[in-house]
Amino acid sequence: MTAVASSATDSGRTRGARFRPSALGWLPRLAVWAAIGYVVLYLPLGRPPTDVQRFTEGVAFAIVALSLNVMLGYVGQISLGHQAFVGVGAFTSAYIVTEQGQSFWLGVLVAAAVGGFQALVLGGVSLRIRGLYFALITLSYGLVAEQNIFQIQELTGGGAGQAAPKPDWFDTEWRYYYLALGFLALVLYIDWRMMRSKSGRALLAVRENPRVASTFGINVRAATLFAFVVSGVFAGIAGAIKAHSDTQVSVDVWNFNLALVFVIMTVVGGLRSRWGLVIGGGFFALLPYFIEKIPGLEDVLADIPLVPRVLTPEIAPLVIGPLLLLVNLIQFPGGIGQQIRPITRWLSGHRFDIHDKGPKEVQITDVRA
Amino acid sequence: MNEALRARLGWIVGAVLAVGLAVVLIVTGEENALVIGVTQGSAYGMVALGLVLVYKSSGVFNFAQGEFGTVALFVLYLLDFETNYWLAMAGALAVAAVMGFLTERIVIRPLFEAPRVILLVATAGVALLAIGVQIWFGDAQGKPIDKAFDRVDRITVLGVQVTDQQLALIVVLVALAALLALFFTKSNLGLAIIGASQEPTATELVGISVKRLSSFIWVIAAVLGGLAAVIAVPNLGSFGPGIMTSQFLIPAFTAAVLGGMTSLPGAFVGGVLIGIVQSVATSAPVFQDIPGTKSTLVVFIVLLVVLLVRPQGLLGKPAR
Amino acid sequence: MLEANHLSIRFGGVQANRDVSVAVGEFEIVGIIGPNGAGKTTLFNLITGFFAPDAGAIVYKGRDITGMAVNQRAALGLGRTFQNVGLVKGATVRENLVTAQHLQADYSTIGGLLGSGPARIVERRLRERADSLADVLGLGELLDTQVAGLPYGTLKRVEIATVLATDPDVLLLDEPSSGMGPEEAHQLGDTLLDLRRSFGLSIVMIEHHVPLVVRVCDYVYCLDFGQMLAEGLPNDVRNHPQVVAAYLGEDPDDEAAPVDSMAEGN
Repeated sequence: MTAVASSATDSGRTRGARFRPSALGWLPRLAVWAAIGYVVLYLPLGRPPTDVQRFTEGVAFAIVALSLNVMLGYVGQISLGHQAFVGVGAFTSAYIVTEQGQSFWLGVLVAAAVGGFQALVLGGVSLRIRGLYFALITLSYGLVAEQNIFQIQELTGGGAGQAAPKPDWFDTEWRYYYLALGFLALVLYIDWRMMRSKSGRALLAVRENPRVASTFGINVRAATLFAFVVSGVFAGIAGAIKAHSDTQVSVDVWNFNLALVFVIMTVVGGLRSRWGLVIGGGFFALLPYFIEKIPGLEDVLADIPLVPRVLTPEIAPLVIGPLLLLVNLIQFPGGIGQQIRPITRWLSGHRFDIHDKGPKEVQITDVRA
Repeated sequence: MNEALRARLGWIVGAVLAVGLAVVLIVTGEENALVIGVTQGSAYGMVALGLVLVYKSSGVFNFAQGEFGTVALFVLYLLDFETNYWLAMAGALAVAAVMGFLTERIVIRPLFEAPRVILLVATAGVALLAIGVQIWFGDAQGKPIDKAFDRVDRITVLGVQVTDQQLALIVVLVALAALLALFFTKSNLGLAIIGASQEPTATELVGISVKRLSSFIWVIAAVLGGLAAVIAVPNLGSFGPGIMTSQFLIPAFTAAVLGGMTSLPGAFVGGVLIGIVQSVATSAPVFQDIPGTKSTLVVFIVLLVVLLVRPQGLLGKPAR
Repeated sequence: MLEANHLSIRFGGVQANRDVSVAVGEFEIVGIIGPNGAGKTTLFNLITGFFAPDAGAIVYKGRDITGMAVNQRAALGLGRTFQNVGLVKGATVRENLVTAQHLQADYSTIGGLLGSGPARIVERRLRERADSLADVLGLGELLDTQVAGLPYGTLKRVEIATVLATDPDVLLLDEPSSGMGPEEAHQLGDTLLDLRRSFGLSIVMIEHHVPLVVRVCDYVYCLDFGQMLAEGLPNDVRNHPQVVAAYLGEDPDDEAAPVDSMAEGN
């Protein structure tokens, strides 16, 4: 029932002057930051527009991972219907812009609001339903979105899909990519501030032990619903960004497989690790791209013995993703985020400690229903 | 009231509900909806049996249960070109069994101590892997699939023709449910499995390997999923990747929840109940203006209502 | 200050509390003793709002709080610890101390999300208070250590610090000395007396360690089988024949964790 403390191996870092790298110590760190900046900001400038569009999708997926993380990582509720949240955001924004003739900015705003409202309603209705059963509800809701909500002609344009033009000023793939990065930065900032303010701390307490949280004066229901809204808002934003990147939102993208890819990239990226989540989201969105670009890899995949057909870059995430997930769950439960933690800590001005695996995962009150 | 009686009372309530619904349907002249509902519901019930078995023995919500079936369908589809239908079906079930075994060995066992939510994610991963491989080996298009029995006019119930294939589904399901019920109440192995689910340590102490039982359960569950698919889906005429997950898994889970997640007869009755409700509600006037497939929405509503109003299912005892 | 009047609650066939009444005056330290499974933690759960009583009422500062939610009672100044340590174990000591100041974080949620100036100022204040509370309980060196992995006795002290962080008027401590040796328990007595003075607290403590109870408590209740067996001054209750009989076969100083599963606080 209760949280089980695992064995004490974590060396207690004592109080005292916090470690600050010297000016010389900052140099290599800045170099790495510059390299990251180069890859993310400069490299895309030299790529053709179709490639850049994929990078934008990677940014959108990173936001989706951050959105799912709020539910799965901070509250401990699993959503298997997140494609519905993202999809509704995409269609909402497209609808506002194309059908209502409003600006892109209003489209994103409404998509975020609708996303938050949707999560609030679903969360509010099913607040009493926890754990495994909540996963069922979300999976079922995702199917309803796919088969009913997205069939509403006015919203989604039916089989033809809904047009979603890019906003003025950001009408090239490159400019739009930077816009998407801007949104990712905003989401990251909000997530970061949230976890450093009372609302984020309340979530972690509720996730680990709702009873203790309530004795701290935390309203468990309100905290949970708040997280749902935040997650829904992030998902709505991600949907809008993807919509206007593709410039056309079609119905058949938002299926159950996508929901699972979302969950997988979030877990593989690493719950509660912003770095890991961004890498996980980006990696899964760009997996087909990598397969195409890595010389010879496509040929290898085409020649897998005993297999009748080619593993095309489009299908690859559906096969490689789950394999990564399983390896991840069994071998590296902390995901990418935990593996790279020594580096990311070092980058943000801490000592390099190869053994730093972050806070020990505490077995939380299990939701065995 | 003791536990056993309470449990029985639960599924009796379910059965009474189902019969009541059936009578109403006959009186109102909706025999067709009834027959469709019962046959479709039988398939849900069979998938639900597998879900309940796994949950009962290891507390896992197995989201891969549907894909055991779709994989079996694919094998049936492929082998049907090569050999006789019955051999193909045996091959399909064998592959499902192997898949169940491997899932338990490679995924479930290393995660035995992990939180249930992680196991759920893992089984969902297995499901996606299966779907991915299906698309990879075949394609995303629907494929026609043959029935085992072609005759459609042998029996007429309430003026509605029941195809032999539908009949086979119902017969197999009833037989399976009875067999499993007997297995868990009478046979030593069955009792050991129940014991293992409740007192793993004690079961180990009396010399029964909980792990071996776990493999066994997953194989049985996978075969059940396979059977449900190869008998029920040919009624639909064609199938595509992930069909058992997108069309059968959630109704089956709803059926299992109705049965309190641990009752085999409950899952069976729950499945039929869902089938009937779905078949009736989709033609109800309330849903006429809703675009798309109504059955999904109906199942969502039923699932939500059941979880909110009676999360312990029709038969479970209320949790304090 | 705090009164529990004629509380009763039943779980299935077990009458966990029957007509239990407790009164706590201002700045008073009240002890609750009794054999394992006597319903002591259940009483705490009723007072703090985890269970709703079948009968009876809880009056706090002249207000009937019987129907209030746990977090509302916490906001009114009822702080409690748990028998098996109520902490966020994945977080560090400091993070726990800051989390527990949830209600003192008087900035808007949106302000927190956007990192507004006021939010940052308040956050700094919370961290400083966390540091000073840690010092009060001698935890200064452990502030950045993750809670999971700390020894049990230390956890109990961390827990008391976090409850203090919620800014309570009444402290309900569930076996604060469990996991501590006699030496440590003695120190805990001093700490509690200090805390009462410096924070102006009333304290209710479930405690098995009789010397501690006798030393710090002003008044003692003894529960057995969910009913009040005796009450009075510590030494009177200790020597009460029925209390002695109830503890017969059980060492009053026994510190083994009770298997009070029905009333588990956690």
